[in-house]
Amino acid sequence: MRVPWAIARNDLRLWRRSPVAILAALVPPLCMAGMIAVLTASASQQPVALVVQDHGPLAARLTRVIAEDSEAYALRVTDAQTAARELDAQQVAAIVVIPPDFDVRVAQDDAVVGLTLDNVDSDFSDDIRRTVDRSVAEFDAPPLGFLGEQNGAAQGLVLPDVYRVAVAEHNLRQTTVDFLRYNLVPVLVLLVINVGMLGTALLVVHDIERGTGRAMLLMPISRAGLVLGRVLGGALATGAVLVPIVAIGAATGLLRPDAGHWPAIAALLTVTTIAAVGLGLLLAVVLRQTRLVAMGAVTVGTYLFLLGGGFTTLVFLPGWIQAVSRAVPTSYAIDGLRQALFYPGLSGLGRDLLALVVAAVVALGAGVVAISRTWGKAR
Amino acid sequence: MRQHLRVAAGTARLELLRMAGSRALLVLTFFEAVTFLVLVSLFGITGSRAPTALVDQDGGPYARLLASDLAAAHNSFSLRPMDARSAAAALGNGEIAATITIPASFDAEVNAGNTVALPLAVDNVDVDLTDDVQRALPSAIVSFGHQLHLPELRVAVQEQDLLAHDTGYIPYLTVSALTLDALVVAGTLAAVAVARDREARTARVWRTSPASAAAVLAGRLGATGLVSLLALAVTVGCVIAGYGVRVQHPLEMVAASVACIAIFTCVGAWVGAALRRTIAVVPLIFGITLPLYIDSGALEPARFDGEVIWWIAHASPVYYAVGVMEDAFHGLRVTPEPVWLDVAALAGFAVAALTLALVSLRRVEAH
Repeated sequence: MRVPWAIARNDLRLWRRSPVAILAALVPPLCMAGMIAVLTASASQQPVALVVQDHGPLAARLTRVIAEDSEAYALRVTDAQTAARELDAQQVAAIVVIPPDFDVRVAQDDAVVGLTLDNVDSDFSDDIRRTVDRSVAEFDAPPLGFLGEQNGAAQGLVLPDVYRVAVAEHNLRQTTVDFLRYNLVPVLVLLVINVGMLGTALLVVHDIERGTGRAMLLMPISRAGLVLGRVLGGALATGAVLVPIVAIGAATGLLRPDAGHWPAIAALLTVTTIAAVGLGLLLAVVLRQTRLVAMGAVTVGTYLFLLGGGFTTLVFLPGWIQAVSRAVPTSYAIDGLRQALFYPGLSGLGRDLLALVVAAVVALGAGVVAISRTWGKAR
Repeated sequence: MRQHLRVAAGTARLELLRMAGSRALLVLTFFEAVTFLVLVSLFGITGSRAPTALVDQDGGPYARLLASDLAAAHNSFSLRPMDARSAAAALGNGEIAATITIPASFDAEVNAGNTVALPLAVDNVDVDLTDDVQRALPSAIVSFGHQLHLPELRVAVQEQDLLAHDTGYIPYLTVSALTLDALVVAGTLAAVAVARDREARTARVWRTSPASAAAVLAGRLGATGLVSLLALAVTVGCVIAGYGVRVQHPLEMVAASVACIAIFTCVGAWVGAALRRTIAVVPLIFGITLPLYIDSGALEPARFDGEVIWWIAHASPVYYAVGVMEDAFHGLRVTPEPVWLDVAALAGFAVAALTLALVSLRRVEAH
C-alpha cells in the first residue's frame, strides 16, 4: 500500500496547490445553493394588494383572515388607485378588493370579492387563485382555513360547515422539512460529484496532456498500484473539501440528524465519493483535454443532480423520466441522505446503499479498465 | 480599416477551423444548450399538478362533481382514480404525492346537509409540496359548494384577468431559458477561446504581429459568437417545434438573440481574460449563470419576488434579455420597463462588456 499512498498524497498536494481547480469544483454547487436560497425567499409568498372599501365588521373579519395568512400573502393594504398603479408597475401581482357593499351583501348571501390578476404565467396565477379561494372558504367555513387543517377533522372533530365538506389531513411523515434544507441535500451530493469527478478527471488529464502517466509506467511499480493511488487521491481530495463543509453544516444546524444516523450519512457520502471518482476516471479517458473535461463534468454533474431529484420532486415527473432516474445513482444518494438527515428511521437505507455500492463498483471498474488501457497503449 | 477587417476575418476563419477540429467541443456545446432546456422543463413540471390518488368510495353524482372540481382546481392535482389499497401502496412507494378519499357515505351526508370529512393523506416530504396540496383542496371545495348552490355561502370570488389567457409555465420557462442558453454557450466558448490563448501562450505570438489586438479579438469572438448563435438557433427550434411555442414577434426574437449572443460573448471574453485558465472559466460561467437566471424574472416577473431581488436583477443583462424574449415569443410584459428600454439596456451592456474585455486583454498583454 506504500505506493498508492505515496501517489495519493502527491495528488492531494497537487490538488491543494491548484486553487483554480478547487474553485472550479466548488462554484457550481455553491451557486446552486445560492439559487435555492433565492427560490426559498421568493417561492412561498405572493405580492397582493388588498383594497378594503367597506368598513363594516364582516369586511374587517375577511381582512383579518387574509392578513393572518402571512405564509401565502406578501400583503399591502392600500387604496384602489395606488393598487392599480402598483399592479401596473408589477409591485403586486394581484389586487383583492372588498367592495363598499360587502357587509350588506354578505347578509343577503350574495357578496363578491374582486380579484384582478396579472396572469402572466399559470404557475404564479394559480398560486394566487388557490390562496384567495382558501381565504374566502375560511370566511364562510373557518375549518377550511389554516387552523382547521391542523386541529379540525384531522383530530376526529368534524365541525359543521356551509360547504358540507371538511378536510381530515394525515401526514405520512412526522416532520415536514422546510424547502431550503430539503433542497440543500442534492446540493451536497452535487458537491461530492463535482469535486470527486472533476478533481480526479483533472489529475488524470494532467497525466495524459503532460505525458506524466507514461513516465510513471517506467517506474518499478504495478499498474494496479498506480490506479489505486489515483483513486485514493481523488477520494481524499473530495474528503478534504467535504468534511469541513459537513462540519460547518452540523455546527450551524443546517444538518442536524439523529446522532445515530451519522454512520449512515458517512457511508452514503463515502460510496458516492467512490462512484464520483470512478466517473472522473472515465471522463478523463474519454475526453482527454482539460477544457473538454471541464465542460463534460459540468454537464454530467447537472444531469446527475437533476435526475437524482435536485430542484425536482421525482414523483411529479413523467413515468419514463422516473424510470431513468432509478438508474441514476445520485437519486439513491439523495434519497438515503434525506432519510438519514430528516426522518426518525432509516427505512430504505439498505436499498440506497446497495444501489450506490453497485454504481460505485461499476463506475470504478469501468474507469480503472479505461485508464489501464490508456496507459497500456502509452507503454 | 480594410486591413483590420482582413485580420478579423482571418482570425475568425482560424478559430472556426480550430473548433471544427474539436468535434467533442462542438458536441458538448450543443449538448449543454439543450441541457438547460431540459433543466427548466423538469423544474417546470414539478411546479403544478401533484400526482394524487383519488379513492372514490361513493361514486354518486355529488362525489363525481367533487372529483371534477378537484381535477379543475387550478392545475393543482393530476388525479389517478384507484382503490384504497393501491393508493396506500402507491403513496408508501413514493409514486404519488397524496391520496384524497371520498367516503362511501358522501352523497347521502351532503344530501342530508351534514358535513363530510374528506380524508387526505399527504407525503409531506417538504413544506412547499404540502402547502400546495393544503391550499388546493379548499379551492375545489369552494367550487363544489357554489356549483351545488348551497345555502349560506355568502362570498364568492369574481376574477378579472389582465391577459386573455394564462401562459403555460413550461412555455414561459423555456423562453426565458433561451437567455440562459445564450449566456452559457456564448460565454463559455468565448472564455475558452481567450483563456486558451493565455494558456498556450499564443497571445504572445499575436503581439509580435503587426495586427491590432482589437481586430484579432473581434475575429475570435465573431467565430465563437457564430457557433453560439447556431447552438441557440437549434434550441429555439426545439422550443418552437418540441414545445409548440409560437413566436409573436419574430424580428424582435432574432434581434434579442443576436444581442444576447453579442453581450455574453463579450462577457465570456472578459472572464477568459481575467481568469486565464480554461479549467476555471467553464464551471464559473455555469455557476454564476443559474443564480443570475433565477434572479432575472425567469420564473415570474422579477418584481413579484420583492423589491430587493428586483433591484439586484437590474445589474444582470439576463433580466433585460428575459424581458425582450418573453415579449417576442408570448407578447408578455415581464419587466415594468418598456421593451425598448430593455433593448437599449442590452445594447449598453454589450458596449460595456466589450470595453471590459479589451481592457482586460490589454492589461494581460502589458504584463
